[in-house]
Amino acid sequence: MKKIFLSLVAAAMLVFPALVQAAPVKIGFINSITGKEAQIGENLTNGALMALEDLRAKHIEVELIKEDDGGDPKNALAAYEKLVTRDGVIGVVGPYTSGCANVVASRADQYKVPLLVPAAAKEEITMKGYKFVFRLNAPANVYSKVLMDAVKLFKPKTIAYVYAATDFGVSTVKTAQENALKMGLKEVANEKYQQGQPDYRPSLSKVKAANPDLVFLVSYDADAILLMRQAREIGLTPKAFLGAGAGYTTAQFAQQTDISNLVVSATQWTDDVNWPGAANFGLRYKTKFAKDPSYHAACAYEAMRIMVETASKARSAVKLRSALKTGSWNGILGPVKFEDYGSFTNQNNHSMLVQQIQNGKYETVYPA
Amino acid sequence: MSFLQPLLSGILTGGVYALAGIGMSLVFGVMNISNFAHGDLMMLGMYMAYFAFTLLHIDPYLSLVLIIPTAFFFGFMLEKLFINRVIHHPHQNQILLTIGLGLIMSNTALLAFTSDPKILTTTYSSSAFNLPGDISISLPLLFSFLITCVIISILYLFLAKTSTGMALRATSQNREAAQLMGINVAKMSAIAFGIGTALAATAGALIAPTYYIHPLAGHSFLLKAFTICVLGGLGSVVGAGVGGIIIGVVEAMSSTYLSTDWKDVIVFVLFLAVLLLRPEGLFGKKGGRS
Repeated sequence: MKKIFLSLVAAAMLVFPALVQAAPVKIGFINSITGKEAQIGENLTNGALMALEDLRAKHIEVELIKEDDGGDPKNALAAYEKLVTRDGVIGVVGPYTSGCANVVASRADQYKVPLLVPAAAKEEITMKGYKFVFRLNAPANVYSKVLMDAVKLFKPKTIAYVYAATDFGVSTVKTAQENALKMGLKEVANEKYQQGQPDYRPSLSKVKAANPDLVFLVSYDADAILLMRQAREIGLTPKAFLGAGAGYTTAQFAQQTDISNLVVSATQWTDDVNWPGAANFGLRYKTKFAKDPSYHAACAYEAMRIMVETASKARSAVKLRSALKTGSWNGILGPVKFEDYGSFTNQNNHSMLVQQIQNGKYETVYPA
Repeated sequence: MSFLQPLLSGILTGGVYALAGIGMSLVFGVMNISNFAHGDLMMLGMYMAYFAFTLLHIDPYLSLVLIIPTAFFFGFMLEKLFINRVIHHPHQNQILLTIGLGLIMSNTALLAFTSDPKILTTTYSSSAFNLPGDISISLPLLFSFLITCVIISILYLFLAKTSTGMALRATSQNREAAQLMGINVAKMSAIAFGIGTALAATAGALIAPTYYIHPLAGHSFLLKAFTICVLGGLGSVVGAGVGGIIIGVVEAMSSTYLSTDWKDVIVFVLFLAVLLLRPEGLFGKKGGRS
């Protein structure tokens, strides 16, 4: 009797393989939950959470193991090593900051577990030819490229740079300088600052004295508000402030209407772009978390969705790598394909958007 | 660009540094304890100003009337409950205790207030007035500086003229002798720590309208407060005041004429130079204390 029952079960397994699938795949998620970048980290967490909910609705189960790097590359690396060696995950989404992602990326090929970077901008991450590193968002050079394309119309002649002394700040400005050179812009000031200082007035006064047409800014969250306040205070009024992502794309920044109005910033995503599901994602996020999503949330959502959907079919790290390499997707971040182009490897050639803050609201202004 | 602009903005920022430094110096002078929780006490002051503004709608500068007594009481109790237990212990025990207290404060703040930086937006947060020669003075910084001057004057009068103030100075000069003269040194320690805490919280509240408020925001000021104390001479209130202004001006000058990247280098080179030439600090007493 028992034998008959067992063979019936075995037969059933053959007929309905989906129902008796083995345990859900394990995926790791490294994020800055604490530390300086925690505010943006929260956006990533929420985005990833929504992706998991949507996947569950489609009966795709996953065991997600979350790790906090506190914004510190050392912790990020330890988290990645723990995930792949102890937890046995077959794919990892994260980390958020450029510094963390860059360090983790350098080890991915060694452990042969695919890493999908959702929102880190440093170009180097996908420039070293790593086979197991994929990046969803556009790298640093696109930030400045799209911003300068948007203001080309106004024929600016001079540019000044004010940026945080972080991986993200330095690499974004380096590529901005290359783009500016191509446009024939003259660099009149270059101010790198240490994060978290109370007084940026001396740097900003120097920029003011140089009287640039454009001021190109790269900062993380709170510094963005501080810098713009002090810029207003000393009367720094260029033709345009160009904010490269991060601190200039948060809802908190937009709400400071007396300083944020008319600031132009580059972003990976907005909710009024016509990519499938973008508007709906923005709406659902707002109802669920009672605040506007930043582009980080959308990147984390899409990265998590792609990772889990692909991993649940591939079911092993090596197969996952080839599935990510050959697959293509279309979702709230537009068409996604991990390609080799220029000096990049496994890089999604994502087109960025330019938005302008008008009375506390972000409006997409480019591409028009 | 005018030479006066960085000088003025340095002096104004230095005023707030001075206030943080004085609190720490006073505690060191009277109790011979390096207070590593000083930055976190400053952070508590920032949050008090923030909540007074958002919940009670009190202007951050006006809220000092509430913050100073609250912080004094908090510091007084901290000393009574924890600090006085290690007052005769080796320095490393004292350092561990104050670091521990600081960690508890900052992590409780992280849990309670989350790590979202809070921004205190007043009507004058980014306003300034212009002097001839294209020099702009930040209005909130100027307010802070003036309040700092008033507080330092009151503190000076308190230390010089009142009997409690004199007892505090006596304890600072020689704890044992003061005790022999009938001064209640245990009470003086608690008062000194209370004043130190009140000064830290005031510095936090004064910087809140122009800075951002975050559970870990105190840490960058802790290092500054230490530098200021050692520069001015540990235990010297005047030294800490002057030290704060010096650091503010040097920072502003080096970021104007060199680069922002270099300002910490310049500050610490200056710091080392002072330590080499005058190990007791600019206003410190020769010989040090046992």
